[in-house]
Amino acid sequence: MDLDQLISRATGLTTGAGAALLGRLQSVRLPGVGTASAKDDPATAARRWRAVTVLAAPDRLADLPSPLAALGDRVETRVRPAPGDKGTELAARFRGPATDDDLGRLRQALRETKQLVEVGEVLRMDPRPHGERADTPGGRLLDGAVAASRKEGLL
Amino acid sequence: MRALTWTGVNQLSVEDVPEPQLLNDHDVILKITRTTTCGSDLHLLSGYIPFMRAGDVIGHEFMGEVVEVGSGVRNRRVGDRVVVASFVSCGNCWYCRNELYSLCDNSNPNPGITEGLWGQAIGGCLGYSHAVGGYAGSHAEYMRVPFADVGSFVVPDGVPDDRALFASDAASTAFTGVDLGGVQPGDTVAVWGAGAVGQMAARISALVGAEQVVVIDRLPERLEQARTHAGADVIDYSSTDVAAELRERTGGRGPDVCIEAVGMEAHSPGPQGVYDQVKQQLRLQTDRTSAVREAIMACRKGGSVFTLGVFAAMVDKFPLGAVMNKGLTLRGAQVHGPRYIPRLLEWMESGELVTEHLATHVMPLEEAPRGYELFKEKQDGCVRAVFLPHG
Repeated sequence: MDLDQLISRATGLTTGAGAALLGRLQSVRLPGVGTASAKDDPATAARRWRAVTVLAAPDRLADLPSPLAALGDRVETRVRPAPGDKGTELAARFRGPATDDDLGRLRQALRETKQLVEVGEVLRMDPRPHGERADTPGGRLLDGAVAASRKEGLL
Repeated sequence: MRALTWTGVNQLSVEDVPEPQLLNDHDVILKITRTTTCGSDLHLLSGYIPFMRAGDVIGHEFMGEVVEVGSGVRNRRVGDRVVVASFVSCGNCWYCRNELYSLCDNSNPNPGITEGLWGQAIGGCLGYSHAVGGYAGSHAEYMRVPFADVGSFVVPDGVPDDRALFASDAASTAFTGVDLGGVQPGDTVAVWGAGAVGQMAARISALVGAEQVVVIDRLPERLEQARTHAGADVIDYSSTDVAAELRERTGGRGPDVCIEAVGMEAHSPGPQGVYDQVKQQLRLQTDRTSAVREAIMACRKGGSVFTLGVFAAMVDKFPLGAVMNKGLTLRGAQVHGPRYIPRLLEWMESGELVTEHLATHVMPLEEAPRGYELFKEKQDGCVRAVFLPHG
């Protein structure tokens, strides 16, 4: 086996290992990803109130801003003053069973609602300047995490 | 345009990238006139913050000229010469209204990452990984600055660029530690690290009334700068028992306030340093904390320890017993820039705070990889490399 073949073989093995790792990581259920929780079973996690505190008076949330309104009757909401002049607690949850994707949409809707009320717009990020994006397993993993990050987290 | 990008662990490149655009009403576009290395960039470079994507434009300490203004911007105009806070702050959430700007609720578009790491998401930071937003950084010809009314500040005519530049992050980070660390008139303050942030912490401590300031490092040229420009006493930890020296200088009490300005790649002589290096390399801990440990042990009873250096996640062999039993206040924060930059610019204009000596190596952006090499390896007396994207 000459040097080129050896390097080619090693590269192939590395890529395969990276892909296998990526596949394995995608199947791991981490707290804050979809309905996964450190302790709750998925059904309990899906039924928890998800809440943001908005620095505004409760009447600013009387008519639900569009991100939450778009989820329609499937979602129930709760609005109450936050203690210590911290604004208004806006909580929401699905009335019935919810999937990982449903919870992701709810998290994103709550975050965007808070931004719209507090600053009047939702932060945009793209297009943004960047150089050449090398196609690597680690890069693909990070791309996936970033793409999901508005919909995931502990909210 | 040309920009410095992270292309892999310990790899940087200057390449052509698209120019930034106004994306939100509160944005401005800045023509970058000066942008500098920061010690915290080295953690990105070394791969200790694993949220970098090949092609990311780095850099978060900078100044420039406003060349385009979004429709919602009220207080900035084309042509303004401004210095910009490194963290992005909306100005309207509870944290911003309480001057805790780096904890902004609305400026990190990737909250899922840091919620998982730390329990809550902090604000976004320009040019500092996708964990804090994935914003393009300042080592470029042009840059988008979100929420510009909150984070950018017009530089007074009497303040030269090489002075104003360091209000962006180094001096405002230092002020965060001095203020929230609770430095009072008459205090003795010890500062670990004689880089730009440590030197600024020493000088600002003196400006707010500290009676004695001691800076600890091992690099003679940095210690000399701390002595000359910050008026501090200095200790070379490579040849001196730091705790014993501090006890001797403080009547056996220890410093009232200890400010750690080193971060997650602290150097330490002896077995402790080897232990931390091995555990960090094996990813059994994310951070090397020898300076924090030493600060906690040296601090007087009932005193205050402030961590200004950047840390990522988990540490080992942390002297929690000393924190509890000595009644210490342990606090940390990323920089709350807009809270401190106006006062810093006043001090800079009056000449009470000078920073030009920090810019030891000034060079075109095209030479930025060499600048980072000098900075990382601390070669040729490099304290900060400053890049000029437009020559």
